[in-house]
Amino acid sequence: MAEENAIELRGVKKAWGDVVAVQSFDVEIRKGEFFSLLGPSGCGKTTTLRMIAGLEEPTEGQILLEGHDVVRVPPYRRNVHTVFQDYALFPHMTVNKNIWFPLKMRGISLSDAGQRIDRVLRLVNMEGYERRLPQQLSGGQRQRIALARSLVDEPAALLLDEPLGALDFKLRGAMQKVLKDIQRNVGITFIYVTHDQTEALTMSDRIAVMKSGRVHQIGTPDEIYSRPATAFVASFIGEMNFLHGRRLQAQGEMPQAEVGGHRFRASRSTITGTPGSGDEVLVCIRTERVQVNSHRGTDHEVEGTVRRIVYRGTDYELTCDLAGQEVRAVVSAVDWNPELRVGTQARLGFNAADITFFPQAEEKEIVQYTTEAV
Amino acid sequence: MGERFSAPRALLRGIPITVWMLCLVAVPLGYTFLISFFQVEGLQIAAKFTLKNYRLFFTDPMYSGILLKSMLLALAIALLAILAGYPLAYMLSFRVRRGKQALFMLSIIPLWVSYLVRIIAWRTILGNKGVINSALTSLGLIQEPLSFLLYNRFAIAVTLTYICIPFVFIPVYTSLEKIPRNIMEASSDLGAGELRTFFNVVLPLSLPGLVTGFIFAFIIALGDYIIPQQLGGTQGIMFGNLIWSQFGFAFNWPFGAALSFILLAISVTILGLTSRFGSTEGGFLSE
Repeated sequence: MAEENAIELRGVKKAWGDVVAVQSFDVEIRKGEFFSLLGPSGCGKTTTLRMIAGLEEPTEGQILLEGHDVVRVPPYRRNVHTVFQDYALFPHMTVNKNIWFPLKMRGISLSDAGQRIDRVLRLVNMEGYERRLPQQLSGGQRQRIALARSLVDEPAALLLDEPLGALDFKLRGAMQKVLKDIQRNVGITFIYVTHDQTEALTMSDRIAVMKSGRVHQIGTPDEIYSRPATAFVASFIGEMNFLHGRRLQAQGEMPQAEVGGHRFRASRSTITGTPGSGDEVLVCIRTERVQVNSHRGTDHEVEGTVRRIVYRGTDYELTCDLAGQEVRAVVSAVDWNPELRVGTQARLGFNAADITFFPQAEEKEIVQYTTEAV
Repeated sequence: MGERFSAPRALLRGIPITVWMLCLVAVPLGYTFLISFFQVEGLQIAAKFTLKNYRLFFTDPMYSGILLKSMLLALAIALLAILAGYPLAYMLSFRVRRGKQALFMLSIIPLWVSYLVRIIAWRTILGNKGVINSALTSLGLIQEPLSFLLYNRFAIAVTLTYICIPFVFIPVYTSLEKIPRNIMEASSDLGAGELRTFFNVVLPLSLPGLVTGFIFAFIIALGDYIIPQQLGGTQGIMFGNLIWSQFGFAFNWPFGAALSFILLAISVTILGLTSRFGSTEGGFLSE
């Protein structure tokens, strides 16, 4: 069964002296999978990628490529290629020669490589640029040539290190589709490093969310988004409300907590052990799951004073005061009721299915992008 | 509006450099060129036009023989200086992590020591009672001091190579430092070991520095006359000495000037042939 995996990490750890960059990473990446390493800068995602490429040596653990441990194998003998953030094209070689390079290293002459070069150029939609030098190409074009160069000798996996990081917003969106299409066409395993949650969510089959060298969660985009394993994951991906609450006696299967005198039930709680009532907990709900003045019935309904309204084109972000804590709600512009103004009361509805409890201790790991943090 | 004033202002700004170039380069060079067509009458330089000086060079095989010999020696010295300087620059640029700056300074510190002092130092190393001979003698490896070390072309080659190493090292090191490290990582990642990365990526990208270093070394070696004079012995006469002697005890400035111009023409030709490699960055190796 191990052959099903393109790449397997077993207890991979990287430390420079006392500084731990990656701690004990275990994962099995299937053949043909689009796997993302997602996290803020300094989380160890690039170091992990470089260890798979062979550009860094792990302090501990095993890295298996198609079932073989490659920790001692130099990068030039590993059947994986890296696409670097700033492309790393050879400036003294034409596009043609750049793409030929990995084939040349395998002893294939330029004339024999012609067909394969043509094929990857077609794949990245860059026919006709064979004789250009890298400095005569735009950023997006260079990126595609770097991709073609890495694909031409059909490696077992492609390692992409924030490949779209240097491109502007619109081009990035277009390149995401190009990348995903190419990956689907060639069926090669992609390991994709990014700090952009949208990029990870839209492109990946699975995502590993990392912070400070630790893997917080590995799962499909849906699992990561709807069932975050830690408060950090919940805060890093999407927009999440974190409310301070106190634990109450569980009601049947469902844990309960109280926020500002209101009682909330949660469908999920990551708090382990037997919690005593009175313990502090983080009560979490996605901003788009908070119903505002809804006619649909919800499990919990509370009144809050509108503090701030931000128009964002497709929707409005509403910030309400709930017993001294802020609750943000996103309301589609289509459903917007213009009677809602700053200072008016809004009826906020919560469903237990959308609520998760996290241990209070995880609060320090939350990534805050609220106005208070600015 | 700025356009209208910029032309005269640019002219004004150009005056200092023009005067400087005229006084220090054009006038002396022009004067030398002029007297290379003059002749000596008694102990006077007579301003009578003649091609005799150039004719002498091209008809007497002794002169062209010395020139050819000097060029071959200079070529050998330039290549030796590259063989010594390039690996030094490569190691310092790619292998040394700590103390890089200090090692760089150490590599170019010989440039701060007086030229003559360094020549005398080599005489002390290579001489009959020098470092090498006394070491070998005291070890019992030789009875008589090795005489091939000093006062011949070997001594010139060794010392001039030593003089030229920093002039190769500096431009090569600079061009190696300019190579983005991730390009070398990409090369390794795409299947090239260190040797193939060197020949396919590092060497082509450092070629501008290498060519510059070669030109420096070659021209320094070709024009030098002090080292041949001090360490060359009887077989050590080089083209530089020939020129020097015309201006010195032979007191034939016109002939010396003609020889100088022949040397200058050769240097400029070499510079012209190689500078297209030295000046362009990167792009020259592709078709």
